Amino acid sequence: MSGIQLVLITGLIFIGLYYITRLKKRLLDIVLLFAMITVGIVFALRPNITNIIARDLGVGRGADLVFYISILIFWFISLKLYARIRKLEQQVTGIIRDNAISNAAELTDANTH
Amino acid sequence: MSAEANHKKIIVVLPAYNEGPVVRQVIISLLKIVSTVIVVDDGSAVPMIRQLHDLPLVLLRHRVNLGQGAALQTGLMYAKKLNPDIVITFDADGQHNEEDIKSLIAPIVANEADIVLGSRFLPESETIVPLTKRIILQFARIINFLLSGILLTDAHNGLRALNKTALTKINLTENRMAHASEFLFEIKKHKLRCKEIPVHIRYTDYSMQKGQKGRDSIKVLFDLLLHKLFK
Repeated sequence: MSGIQLVLITGLIFIGLYYITRLKKRLLDIVLLFAMITVGIVFALRPNITNIIARDLGVGRGADLVFYISILIFWFISLKLYARIRKLEQQVTGIIRDNAISNAAELTDANTH
Repeated sequence: MSAEANHKKIIVVLPAYNEGPVVRQVIISLLKIVSTVIVVDDGSAVPMIRQLHDLPLVLLRHRVNLGQGAALQTGLMYAKKLNPDIVITFDADGQHNEEDIKSLIAPIVANEADIVLGSRFLPESETIVPLTKRIILQFARIINFLLSGILLTDAHNGLRALNKTALTKINLTENRMAHASEFLFEIKKHKLRCKEIPVHIRYTDYSMQKGQKGRDSIKVLFDLLLHKLFK
């Protein structure tokens, strides 16, 4: 096993463990996670497989294919995160708005005295 | 103001964030025309109650800064409780002219519109808009048209008048500056009758510095795209 394979596989296992301890334990999530980690480990051990898939898809090298797919995944995750942030922002806005309205100060001229 | 308008209960909603002394002048001049002014302090570093405590107004304060859109919506929600006939939205930086309120509410008093929007680009406005602002606003009104199907002469004018129907229907979810376009989405969605009226904008050093810069338009565009994406 080469150095980079060791680094990639260790990384994948750690990510897997992290998600298993943190994530909601829905069956679909676990299955997806295992599938992705397994594919990752297989690709790390047998990089040639990515080359074969890449050539079939009309991409020169396996590494390039992985890079292109990573860009797609990155965009997908960014959008998911933005959606999440917007939702959080709406919740925070609701709380702050309620607070502002219930603490409304009706000032009068009399306040000068 | 006309006799009819005199009988209407008119409320001004004024979103404010870290405003200088000019906000006081703006409010004092508004109080000469309308009975109620709701100031929404959008989390200013120095709470605005310190400079406004002696004026007869309603003061709401966001604990943290959320943006002008959020402040407007808070003000509109509070205004609803007071059951007004007309609600005006007005900027705190002194760029609007309180004299314009008269012509702004006229179409509502005459029951010709549910919402009236101020425009600095109608011929009678007599406003000389700085070149960069003019270019950005022209671009913005086309974006607004593409996204909402409503073509206006102005894009980001803070001076508006809403009748009861518009006040009940309009709900702003865009916290920052994209709310100006969201008004149009809401007009379209609820089939509100909309009219533009020429208003005069005062470009002072202060309002130019407080106002939006060219680069902010990119942020607005981004917010709008997200708004459409995550509807």
